[in-house]
Amino acid sequence: MASLQKTQKANAAKADAKGKGKRKAEEIVGADEEMQAPAPKKMKNKQRVLLLSSRGITHRMRHLMNDIEALLPHVKKDSKLDSKNNLHLLPELADLNNCNNTLYFEARRHEDLYLWAAKTPNGPSIKMHVQNVHTMDELKMTGNCLKGSRGIVSFDKTFDESEWGRLTKEVFTHIFGVPAQARKAKPFIDHILTFTILDNKIWFRNFQIIEKDPLQPNGPPQTTMIEVGPRFVLTPIRIFEGAFSGATVYSNPEFISPAAVRSALKREKGDKYGKRKTAEVERAERMETRKRDEDELAVSKVFA
Amino acid sequence: MPESSGPEFVGDVSEEEIVAVDELSDAESVYEDVVPQQKVEIDNKIALERIRDTIKLPSALPWTETLVVTYPETITVDVDDDLNRELAFYKQALHSAQLAKSLAAKHNLPFTRPPDYFAEMVKSDAHMERIRQRLLDEGATIKRSEEKRKEREGKKYGKQVQMEKLQERERSKKDMEERLKGLKRKRKGALDNPQGDDDNFDVAVEDAISDRPAKRAKGAGPGGKKIPRQARDQKFGFGGPRKHSKQNTKSSTDSFDAGSAGRGKAKGGKSAKGAAKRPGKGRRMAARSRS
Repeated sequence: MASLQKTQKANAAKADAKGKGKRKAEEIVGADEEMQAPAPKKMKNKQRVLLLSSRGITHRMRHLMNDIEALLPHVKKDSKLDSKNNLHLLPELADLNNCNNTLYFEARRHEDLYLWAAKTPNGPSIKMHVQNVHTMDELKMTGNCLKGSRGIVSFDKTFDESEWGRLTKEVFTHIFGVPAQARKAKPFIDHILTFTILDNKIWFRNFQIIEKDPLQPNGPPQTTMIEVGPRFVLTPIRIFEGAFSGATVYSNPEFISPAAVRSALKREKGDKYGKRKTAEVERAERMETRKRDEDELAVSKVFA
Repeated sequence: MPESSGPEFVGDVSEEEIVAVDELSDAESVYEDVVPQQKVEIDNKIALERIRDTIKLPSALPWTETLVVTYPETITVDVDDDLNRELAFYKQALHSAQLAKSLAAKHNLPFTRPPDYFAEMVKSDAHMERIRQRLLDEGATIKRSEEKRKEREGKKYGKQVQMEKLQERERSKKDMEERLKGLKRKRKGALDNPQGDDDNFDVAVEDAISDRPAKRAKGAGPGGKKIPRQARDQKFGFGGPRKHSKQNTKSSTDSFDAGSAGRGKAKGGKSAKGAAKRPGKGRRMAARSRS
């Protein structure tokens, strides 16, 4: 463990030295030369995410939003959007807040949650249905991580196998991958976010990376994962060309809206009663048609 | 405006049921009045690629800017199998973390958080305390139930052992008693010559007590003919047949012929008829066919 610390300190010092540029003789000369030719710009990943929800959100959805805000330091949380019909306001809001990504949680009927992930100036937007939400507060999620630490983002191989998967991977990289220059970012890598496509749905998990001292003094430390939370499942519904508007470039054929599922269930239940009543009416009619004339030896005739 | 997430229809939505034509079996047929409606599935690969090219980050960007890793294996797990599914996710995370660690070392990025680095964590200390308490409680419950179960099992076993021991003791006592009694009965005649058989008596007692008596030639060994219960009762029951043979009962006083002379005649008269107890052929055949 001591050796690890030493290497980290050395690395940190090296990184500092590069950035601050302690002026030594050689470097001053180098700087003069650089100023003559246009210095190649250091490419930076600049991302900011606007996080907001619609009205009608439940406590579980609200906690999920707060969890995401705690995990990603480059996120700006905004107040609730008043109307669900004027989604064109969202790119403007994002512009106001200097954000180039948006995560919009749309709650419908107080029970369904939809997530819009969009790149705001002109970029694509992905609408997804969120299910199986477990927040960080659950006592079974025992891990903990630094607030604002940059996490590893891990994608499954299945993302690269389809065109919409590749686009989704790109958008998620921008949103969930914390840029190095984020203001509230902390130095060490503490946790890992995993996205997996299984059964045509995207499963999200967040694990804390723990490195224990090895049993042998000179071996590598043992890495274990503990779940920090939150966890949810996303079903992609449609991908639009513009930010919250535009033509559909992908629609998921297997998606059935939760409202349709509920109504189908209720209709099945109602069918039972209707079927029973129809059967009863039919039975009555059948008994009528099969009625025979009274027999000569019937009791009523003999003992009239 | 983004459209609703229902299926897109070419015609009007009517009250009739929407059935997928390719899912109809051969037996069913479609009514002729049905309006064919098409559910439009869109997968505009070209547009998707174009958009991705527009938004994607420059490939020259170093890994440290995004920290993205790809898991090289496909996960094929049954979605409903919770344990294996979570295990697959865990494996993905583990592999990716190890890969990221090596990449971080390459790019000189500090990876492991030192144990003395204190900063705000995502979950508060109070919350972690609750989690810890819950884990402790769970562990304690499990331990307690384990202990109770062991106790219960131990009690049953201990009771069993106790019963067995008691029975064993009783049995050995009885055994000893019987052997000594047998010996006493056999040695009834010892009163005749009290001196000569002292050694023999000791040997006999030792023999009786020991579990394995010395090998002696015996008439009918333990594997000989077993006398049935009834015969034994008659022979030894109530002191044997001779015990009551000279008693004065009502029947014996009333009968004047009770004597050896009378007995001989009764015996002779009986034996002539005694062998005819077996039913005749006809009755035997009838009984056989019936059964």
